[in-house]
Amino acid sequence: MLAYLLLFKREFLRMAARPVYWFVMVIAPLGVYAFFVMLMQAGLPSELPVGLVDLDNTATSRSIARNLDAFQRTKIAAHYADVSEARRALQRGDVYAFYYIPRGTTRGANRQEQPTVSFYINYSYLIAGSLTYQDMRMMSELASGAAARRVLYAKGATEGQAMAYLQPVVMDTHPISNPWLNYNIYLSNTIVPGMLLLFISLLTAYSLGTEIKDGTAREWMALAGGSIKRAVTVKLVPQFVVFWLMGAVYVLLFYAYLHFPCHCGIPVMLGAMTLLVLAGQGLGTLFFALLPSLRMSMSMCALWGVVSFSTCGMSFPVMAMHPAIQGLTQLFPLRHYFLIYINCALDGFPWQYAAWNFLALFFFAAAPLLLMPRLKYSVLNYKYVP
Amino acid sequence: MIRQYYARYWKESFRSFLYIFNREMRNVFRDEGVILFFIVVPVFYPILYSSIYTTETIREVPVAVVDDSRSALSREYVRKVDATPDVSVLRVCANLDEAREMVRRREVYGIVNIPRSFSADIARGQQTRVSLFCDMSGLLYYKAILVANTDVSLTLNADIKIARAGNTTAEQDRVTEYPIAYTSVNLYNPQGGMASFLLPAVLILILQQTLILGVGLLAGTARETNRLHELIPVERSHHGLLRIVFGKALVYLLIYVAQSVIALGVIPRIFSLPQIGNPVTIAFFLAPFLLAITFFAMTLSALIRERENVILIIVFASVPLLFLSGISWPASAMPGWLKLISYIFPSTFGINGFVHINTMGADLLDVRGEWDALWVQSAVYFLTCCLTFRYKILRARVRTYRLYKEERASREVRVG
Repeated sequence: MLAYLLLFKREFLRMAARPVYWFVMVIAPLGVYAFFVMLMQAGLPSELPVGLVDLDNTATSRSIARNLDAFQRTKIAAHYADVSEARRALQRGDVYAFYYIPRGTTRGANRQEQPTVSFYINYSYLIAGSLTYQDMRMMSELASGAAARRVLYAKGATEGQAMAYLQPVVMDTHPISNPWLNYNIYLSNTIVPGMLLLFISLLTAYSLGTEIKDGTAREWMALAGGSIKRAVTVKLVPQFVVFWLMGAVYVLLFYAYLHFPCHCGIPVMLGAMTLLVLAGQGLGTLFFALLPSLRMSMSMCALWGVVSFSTCGMSFPVMAMHPAIQGLTQLFPLRHYFLIYINCALDGFPWQYAAWNFLALFFFAAAPLLLMPRLKYSVLNYKYVP
Repeated sequence: MIRQYYARYWKESFRSFLYIFNREMRNVFRDEGVILFFIVVPVFYPILYSSIYTTETIREVPVAVVDDSRSALSREYVRKVDATPDVSVLRVCANLDEAREMVRRREVYGIVNIPRSFSADIARGQQTRVSLFCDMSGLLYYKAILVANTDVSLTLNADIKIARAGNTTAEQDRVTEYPIAYTSVNLYNPQGGMASFLLPAVLILILQQTLILGVGLLAGTARETNRLHELIPVERSHHGLLRIVFGKALVYLLIYVAQSVIALGVIPRIFSLPQIGNPVTIAFFLAPFLLAITFFAMTLSALIRERENVILIIVFASVPLLFLSGISWPASAMPGWLKLISYIFPSTFGINGFVHINTMGADLLDVRGEWDALWVQSAVYFLTCCLTFRYKILRARVRTYRLYKEERASREVRVG
């Protein structure tokens, strides 16, 4: 018992002596929470600046422009005299897209000549591009429909008849559990835990590696009575407590205070967060046991942490990736956490559908147990290489 | 006499500049960690990212169909949906419950439900509604399912309209279909792909982050190995602030000019990312960017006390920096003060300017704002770098002098 207490005391002293621990465990996570809350504060992007090239200059073309401007996501920020001026503005980054109404559009529509309007979207800003595309396409459909409706009314059709004629089949879209189409639901709920995972695994490898670097590894093992399991456990428990608290702050902040969708209730997400913290520590220990050099193990943790933002499938679905990479995504704890989040919190399905993902996180946490003898050997025998 | 003095001064300055340059170059190539960040990561990461996003878009999203109408028209609808590149119909289910279970098992990502009255409604000349239920585990699934169904319903609508209109000529059919037609043009990223959108930004960010990591690692090592743990040792050769700053900066610049050519010239070509910029324009644009990140990294390196701390502090910043650049989350939707913060980092201007030139074919005049900002940053960070280095040099001298005095005092005591 006393041995444990002495080990704990030693651990606390080590943590207190290095400000970087407090930076990574407390300041940086809080900073990340604040950053993402602020970034997405305004909700979905609205009033994205687009340009207008109206060469027609009639009541009809102005009403198209007015209606486009009235869409929530689009704001006509500038009128341009011709297409090449608008293109230059696009290249400068003044607008994300522009809408082009050529000369004679109204006349053509009245004479039933099928004039063509067009819109140009800058897809090198993918999200802004997709959002403006939706509005502009909708507007063009409406413009076309309005023209046809005028003809129908002139022929004496009622409104119901006109609509049934114009749009016999209508789409009734139900985006289940994200009816606002809020991209932030995927961003904040995956990137923030991903950053936490990055901090946890990096700090685990760092705290193990500095024992070798400072040349205190033998003293550490001696204090633990030569038991590597005891030494590692006592080292990681204080970090676990702090990181778990940070994780709990995140869960409460996002699900209880900011009311992100959480159909499974907060305790389940707290449980998933606990597993995530353990998996992060397991990953850090695993990398350090495999590559007992401070620099290499930390670089691996950084690689894993940063790449997992892509492989978790939050923005780009795993289904669309190369089959070999699809398999590899299983090796990233964030992928499993993301699927748990989607299954339990967002969709509200029973947890059994994500059983494999819970199990996988558990495996990440338990994996280093297999490598304990190797870890002990390297802790005792490896020399620090800068 | 005076001329001789200046000649000697310049000769000596140049010699110690060369000495510092050589020493830093040796430090870089003797340190495996620095080689990892300066040489390996800027080549390896872009390849890794490109292979993750190489398919660019999502195709053939599996959906389940619940066809309550079971008519010729509803089957035509399903066939047309299946034929789109975005969606593939995995199974026609008997009822919604069966389809819902498939969603829960993540076998399909959406349900298309055709109502019982589908073809009867159309025959009667009434509107009918097809319901889409989308699993929102990713926005791209939703987008694929919605786009496929909207396209099919629009063509089906056009066919029905034309059949009812009783036109006599094909021209009339065309006008009936769309009184005002529209075309949509995807500029600069025609397939709307993920790689073409994200990678140019990531490439620039990787250059900045690896440079900061490498320089920080070097600074950490210097402070760990030097006497008194100072960033700049007190030595004869380490006189003269500008010599130190320029000597070190030149090493990093030389390496990163080569890395820029690989990361921004070769990698996009291998993975056929958009690359329509003029290389000369890119070179002109990169000049202030490389200067800014070099002096930025050198300024930051003064904060690094231990070698490995830099990994803890710098790596995680990459993600917020990517968002601050406004490339993924639109900058116009960002609160103003976050935008102000983003102006601190060279990556914000570097990413936007590079994307404009490389992906959108802008010329230097179009990115004048970013270019000027990068020059301002270069100047500011050069100054901050000089100031911090000067402070460090002075502190090192004061400490050394104090130590020297203490040693002498203790020696005198001993002698006395």
